[in-house]
Amino acid sequence: MMMSVGTDAQAGDMKLAVTTSFHNSGLAEVLLPEIEADTGITLHLLVVGTGQALRLGAAGDVDAVLVHARAAEDSFIAKGHGTHRREIMYNDFVLIGPASDPAKLSAASTATEALISIATTQSSFVSRGDDSGTHKKELSLWNAANVTPEGDWYKSVGAGMGAALNTASGMGAYVMSDRASWLNFGNKGGLALLFAGDPVLFNQYAYLPVNPANHPHVKADLAAQLETWLTSDRARILINGYQLSGEQLFTFNAAAAQQD
Amino acid sequence: MVSALFPLQAIGATVRRKDKTLIGPVDLALGAEGITIVVGPNGAGKTSLLKMLHGIVRLSDGQVTWACTTPEAQARQAFVFQTPVMLRRSVLENLTYPLRLAGMPKAQAIAQAKDWATRIGMAEATSRSALVLSGGERQKLALARALIRAPDVLFLDEPCASLDGRAMREIEALLVQANQEGTRIIMSTHDMGQARRLATEVVFILQGRIHEFGPAKEFFASPDTAETSAFLKGDIVD
Repeated sequence: MMMSVGTDAQAGDMKLAVTTSFHNSGLAEVLLPEIEADTGITLHLLVVGTGQALRLGAAGDVDAVLVHARAAEDSFIAKGHGTHRREIMYNDFVLIGPASDPAKLSAASTATEALISIATTQSSFVSRGDDSGTHKKELSLWNAANVTPEGDWYKSVGAGMGAALNTASGMGAYVMSDRASWLNFGNKGGLALLFAGDPVLFNQYAYLPVNPANHPHVKADLAAQLETWLTSDRARILINGYQLSGEQLFTFNAAAAQQD
Repeated sequence: MVSALFPLQAIGATVRRKDKTLIGPVDLALGAEGITIVVGPNGAGKTSLLKMLHGIVRLSDGQVTWACTTPEAQARQAFVFQTPVMLRRSVLENLTYPLRLAGMPKAQAIAQAKDWATRIGMAEATSRSALVLSGGERQKLALARALIRAPDVLFLDEPCASLDGRAMREIEALLVQANQEGTRIIMSTHDMGQARRLATEVVFILQGRIHEFGPAKEFFASPDTAETSAFLKGDIVD
């Protein structure tokens, strides 16, 4: 049964720091009007990287954050900057490469296998190299694969996802991308999606309300109300139903609120 | 059977990046036997030719074909790079990895890996991290890792560059043995002595094109062109 969340049509304004990948996916444009209609909350998004989003939260510049970097989130809570962490949804990273797939990623059964195949065949790989969440994730995967990515085959471009995909397209190289950026990418050329689905590639988004004990001005009541909406059946339907080029981008996985 | 893969043919095969032609157009046909050595000045396109034939660079024009389907051929090849990537694991785990990936039971994979560690003179080093090996040890390990699944075709890009005489001798012995056991070898080198020792046929690359190709004895004894003669004499040719 769908939970009723439309309780307060005059709730007010609230600031939420979100990551660029979430914003660029287009999901925000779907959710924000529905949140306002259901709760009366007008959300003002501050679109930044995960690290900056958490810094905004720690400084009390926003009322809550929606980010995807588990270790940093845990640290944020441990330091008392946020009241708690609530998982909302995940999307995934995918491995893209030349359709001819010389490293045979499509035959790999894990992301680790796929990356080792790229490294041992020294097939060209384009890395964002920009210290973004996606770049950090890529480095963590290389680390898990016990490979130090270096050499002529590993091109670090120090640029955003679109530029990295463009470089890979021009070179016929492999690249890791979030699925939304790949689907939105218009210059696919000879590239194809070659590997996806390993749970290590999942990208968990969590909602962290800023601690009002540190910053009395934060709108904790609205943050709680937004959390209720983000974890509701209404949100589940909208998040799971959001598609790009016929593909679902996010999977809702918010657990029900614990009953005291 | 190696013969099921050959001839390997390149027809007008060209690799361009931006406005620069790295290699090609290349027209070449290789048979199922022997050791093909690719030689040429620095920057002539030796590495690009090997990668093109192995299928790890995208062709801008032309085609490279095998007697069987390309995926079938690629599954039966291996490539040893000048600077191989080692997994941050032990010597033994670097050797078992390709076997485990192919589905071999763990005990069998370990036994085979130990056998190969012995063959490359590293039986006492199986538990050492691959990252602390010397250049020669790394190259031997990379070669063993490539040969452990008994590929029908082995590409090698300057596998002995900057190695000392002993390591070079050991690697050459492994290559000769692999070839005698049925692995077709296609390899680049800048070392004319090594080319003379190993080659049954030679491809001479100049400015991204195949300048001369033929049996090793004829290539070294009576080169067809003045450029080849000059190159063999040690003159600067580009």
